[in-house]
Parts: sequence; structure tokens; C-alpha cells
Amino acid sequence: MGKVTGFLELKRLKEASQAPEIRIKHWHEFVDRLPDEEASKQGARCMDCGIPFCNTGCPVNNIIPDWNDLVYRNEWRQALDVLHSTNNFPEFTGRICPAPCEAACTLNINNDPVGIKSIEHAIIDKGWDEGWVVPQPPSQRTGKKVAVVGSGPAGLAAAQQLARAGHEVTVFEKQDRIGGLLRYGIPDFKMEKHLIDQRVVQMQAEGVTFCPSTFVGSADDPAAKGLTVKSPAD
Amino acid sequence: MKTGRDVVIGALLGADEFGFATAPLVVEGCIMMRKCHLNTCPVGVATQDPVLRKKFQGKPEHVVNYFFFVAEEVREIMAQLGIRTFDELVGRTDLLDTRAGLEHWKAHGLDFTNIFYQPPTDEPRYQALEQDHGLEAALDHQLIERSKPAIEKGEKVSFITPVRNRNRSVGAMLSGEIARRHGEAGLADDSIHIQFNGSAGQSFGAFLVHGVTFDLVGEGNDYVGKGLAGGRIIVRSPNDFRGFGPEHIIVGNTVLYGATMGEAYLSGVAGERFAVRNSGAATVIEGTGDHGCEYMTGGTVVVLGGTGRNFAAGMSGGVAYVFDPERKFKDNCNLTMVDLEPVLTTAEQKEKVGMQTWHSMLRGDERETDEAILKRLVENHFRYTGSFRARDILSNWPASRGMFVKVMPKEYRRALAELWESANTASKAA
Repeated sequence: MGKVTGFLELKRLKEASQAPEIRIKHWHEFVDRLPDEEASKQGARCMDCGIPFCNTGCPVNNIIPDWNDLVYRNEWRQALDVLHSTNNFPEFTGRICPAPCEAACTLNINNDPVGIKSIEHAIIDKGWDEGWVVPQPPSQRTGKKVAVVGSGPAGLAAAQQLARAGHEVTVFEKQDRIGGLLRYGIPDFKMEKHLIDQRVVQMQAEGVTFCPSTFVGSADDPAAKGLTVKSPAD
Repeated sequence: MKTGRDVVIGALLGADEFGFATAPLVVEGCIMMRKCHLNTCPVGVATQDPVLRKKFQGKPEHVVNYFFFVAEEVREIMAQLGIRTFDELVGRTDLLDTRAGLEHWKAHGLDFTNIFYQPPTDEPRYQALEQDHGLEAALDHQLIERSKPAIEKGEKVSFITPVRNRNRSVGAMLSGEIARRHGEAGLADDSIHIQFNGSAGQSFGAFLVHGVTFDLVGEGNDYVGKGLAGGRIIVRSPNDFRGFGPEHIIVGNTVLYGATMGEAYLSGVAGERFAVRNSGAATVIEGTGDHGCEYMTGGTVVVLGGTGRNFAAGMSGGVAYVFDPERKFKDNCNLTMVDLEPVLTTAEQKEKVGMQTWHSMLRGDERETDEAILKRLVENHFRYTGSFRARDILSNWPASRGMFVKVMPKEYRRALAELWESANTASKAA
């Protein structure tokens, strides 16, 4: 439950970012994730509220107090499991989510909220570094086929869950790269694109087939009817 | 209870009064953190931490406003029902729409008839009669009247009055009257001395203030000296009583519950939970039932006879001296929070024990040796009650002292040393 008096003793710490004069020279991300011990201190600020508003403030209901506590106690591997239990792609949300959880945080009433997003960022980046994020192919196949139209974050998350449930999933994307808004809407300095690529590799290992440059439906007659289009999944 | 609708439903089911708990707390700023027990309430509602208490944003007006809303909703619903006054609402179970509840599958097999029953009566269904506590007939009115010279002019008053077990909380109103005029300090010692003859009702001498002595010749009931606040209570047997103090019961259970100051000399055995939550009174008793000195935090208890089991459970402060010639006490004492020690002579204690852990008889008094405190209390006991046991003990004091066991809470020893330390550093700094 974090440290009981953590919020009284420790201050909120923002992630460090590069100085503007350096960051204007390149297109890469300029925010550095918190070092482990700092993230642990930020986790200690969580009060383990009786009613955790962060939990419902979060659109995917991340179990925030739990992984805050696990990070505080340096149980990173378990923290990653808890984080992944509600969130397929924490490396995306840990970077670009507007963090309504922090707005909902009880500490935000009369103090600085817990740095939930920075902790999430630290957990998942450590997870990739340590090689803890591995494909989880299903043990049994259902033999059913599912088509997912659009490879934005929602499509990818749906595809991953369905594939792990044993279905044969094909993702159709009209652009020539996978990722939708993640790829074409979000600039590199916010989130670099290799993050999407490594997820695509993981999902392919889980049995998802990606069909980029495949337009389903037309501008006048989008989606539904067009799904009869011939695809490699057939 | 959160809304006006809750109030109306309660009234229809027969309620006249309503208690709100969580909702007004939330109005004051409670966010239901469920950290009330950890002293870390981040909105300053349930905490003693000065830093956190500063964060408390609640105002009385917020609560007032909330109850206006509740009242308004009650009026709206009453208007819908065509009810003019709240009294007409009470007990009108016929106005409740019970269908959705009763037809629910979970309610199958349950019989609600008694909950919705309306007794056929011409009497009003709301609370129409005030409960009569019979306070006009309380013995205290006489006591206050007869003690007026002491209360108003500071004269000494002494008289004898009979008491019966229907006289409950004797002395509480008298103490209230004194406290109203003279505050916590009360009157000069023994300004009012009343001898009661008979068997007193419950809570004899409750909240008795300083300057009042109650000398009960007869016996007490439960809760003698409850919340004792500086007065002196003596309970002794009539002169023609032939029994021996440590062999007969003289007061009931939970005697001196939560006493804060004062003295009590009880020449006989008490029931269970003697001096529970005592925080500062000094007392002598000739035997106790189970759970003596439970949760005690301060004061002095002398037991001149046997105790029941589980003595000193949760005892964190104060000292008990138990007369234990047969060395049986250890088996009856709960040793989780206390240590048992011999009672040293004054000379020995001065030589061996640092003054920082010495006890004081009443809260805030000067620190004294155990022998001085114990002997004085036993002497007082003999003087006030004529106790045979006290007389026997005093007649051979050097030997009897060695038969006493001192019950010393570990926490108390630590606190005494810390208090001593801070007082001394403060005086040195000055």
C-alpha cells in the first residue's frame, strides 16, 4: 500500500527532459524515464485510498494502487504483470496518455498527485529492457477467425486479446504501416515508432496476421459490407 | 441515511428520529479514504497530525446546507404524497410502494408482514409521549439544596442521608452544579462531606468533583465512582457487620470506570473490570474480580486481597500494588504489557532506581517512592474505613511491604523516563 506516510514525506518528481537547445536538434523522444529508486519513491507516495479514484479515472481501469505499491517494494516483474492485466500497451499510454488518473488522484485534491504516468512509463520500459515482455501465444486454438479493421491502438489491443484467446486474427490497415494514429498522428518526439514495431513483432508471434495497404470498404460504403473482400486469412 | 427519500421511507416505517453519519462527514470533506485508524487522513478529518489537520476544508455551513437539501427533498416527497406534517407521515406503511421489492426473486420466501404492519389504534403513531426519567425525584436535588452553603459561600457542609438502590448516579448533578460555578478545580478538600446509609444504586458518586467526600456506609452497586473527577469516595460496611473485608463483595462491576482524578477507599471486594480505563485516580480495594485494571492508563490501584484472572490486560499506565502473601498473583496477571516487581523500601529505591521512573500517586503529583505512596494509601484506607486488613498490614509494615507486588506497565516506564528527560532538559535550558 505504498508507504503509509509517504505522501507527507516525499515530493512529486517530474520525469527529466532534455534542455530545449538540445532537443530542437533532433526528432527523438526527449523525456527520460525515472530511475528505479526514484520511481520507487514516487510509488511510496500512493496512499492506497479506500476508494481509489485513479482506478476509475483511468479509461482502462488500470489497477494503479497495486502497481504503485509493487514498485515501492521493488517487485517490478509483478508490477508489470498487474499493469499488463488491464493495459495491452503501457509503453504507449505511459508516454502519451493525458493521465486522467492523476487528475482523479486523491492527493490532487490538496497536494500534488502521485506521478502515476511516470511510474507506468518506468515499469514498462524496464519490462522491455529486462526482456520480460514476451509473446503469449494461446495454448489452444479455437479455430475461429476474426477480422479487425484498422490497426490503431484499439484495433491492436482487440487483436492481441482475441489472439491470446485462441482465435485466428487478421488486422486490416489501409495505410502501408501498422499503428494508425500511433503511427501517423503522434510525432516521434512524443513516442518513437520502434515501440509500435516491437509490439507488432510480439503480436505476430502470438498469431496475429497483419494486412497493411488493404482498404476495407469504400468512402461511400465503409466497413461492414466490404468485409467480404478476399484476404490472405481466407 | 443520505437523502430526503431515505428519511421519508424511515418515517413511513415508523421512525421519529434520524441519524446521519457518512453523508455529513463527506460534506465536511471526507473522501472515504478508510485511513481513519492510521492518522494519515489526507483531508484532515480523522487525524491528530497538525500538518494534515490544516488541510481540513469543512465548514459548519456546508453541513447546514446539506441538511437544507435533505429537508427540501423530504418536503417535496411529502407534497407528492399529500401529507401536511411530518407526524402524519410516521408509520404510514400503506404509502410505501413495496411491489418492486417484494416481487424481486431474492425476496421470495421472506415474510415482511411484520415490518409493514400498522397497529389498529386511535392513538397517534408518532412519538407523542416524552420519556420520563424521574429526574425531579433525584436525590441530588436534596444534596444540592443542603450543600448550598459550601457551593455558594465556601463553608464546610456535613450531613447524613439515607440512600436506596433506586437512587442512581448519586452525586452527578451535585458535581455538575459545582463544576458549573467553580470549574474543574471544584471546592476545597472535604468542603462537602456526606455520609450515606444504605445500599446505593448504580453509578454512585459518578463524576464526583474535588472537594466532595461521599462516605457510603452499606454497599455500592455497579459503576461506583464512574468517571471520578477529583472527589473522594469511601465505601465501608456498617459497624454491626461482622464479616472480614477481603471476603465479601462491597461494590459491583466496572468500578471507577474511566476515573480521571480523586480517591476511592473501598473496604471489601469489587466485581469484574475494577478501575477499567482509570487514567488518574488513586484507590484501595480489598480484592477484585476478573480483568482488574484493564486498559488503565494512569493513577494508582492498591489491592489488599486476591484478584481474578487477566489482571492488567492492556494496562499501559499507572501502577497497581497487589498484596500477595501466598505468591499466587503472577498466575492471575496478564503479563503482555506489564512487569511484576517487588516493592522496595524507600532507602532501597533511592539507592537502586533512578528517579526518572518513579511513580506519582495522582496524575501530575510529585514523584515519590513506592513505599511512601503505598503506605500512605493503606493508612488512609484504615483511617477512612477502619479496615481490618489494612490494620493488620500496617501493624507489621516491614514484613507486609515485602508481600506486595508492584505491577508496572512497560509503556509507562518508558513514558515516565521520557517525561523526566524532557522536563529536565527544559529546566536546564531555562
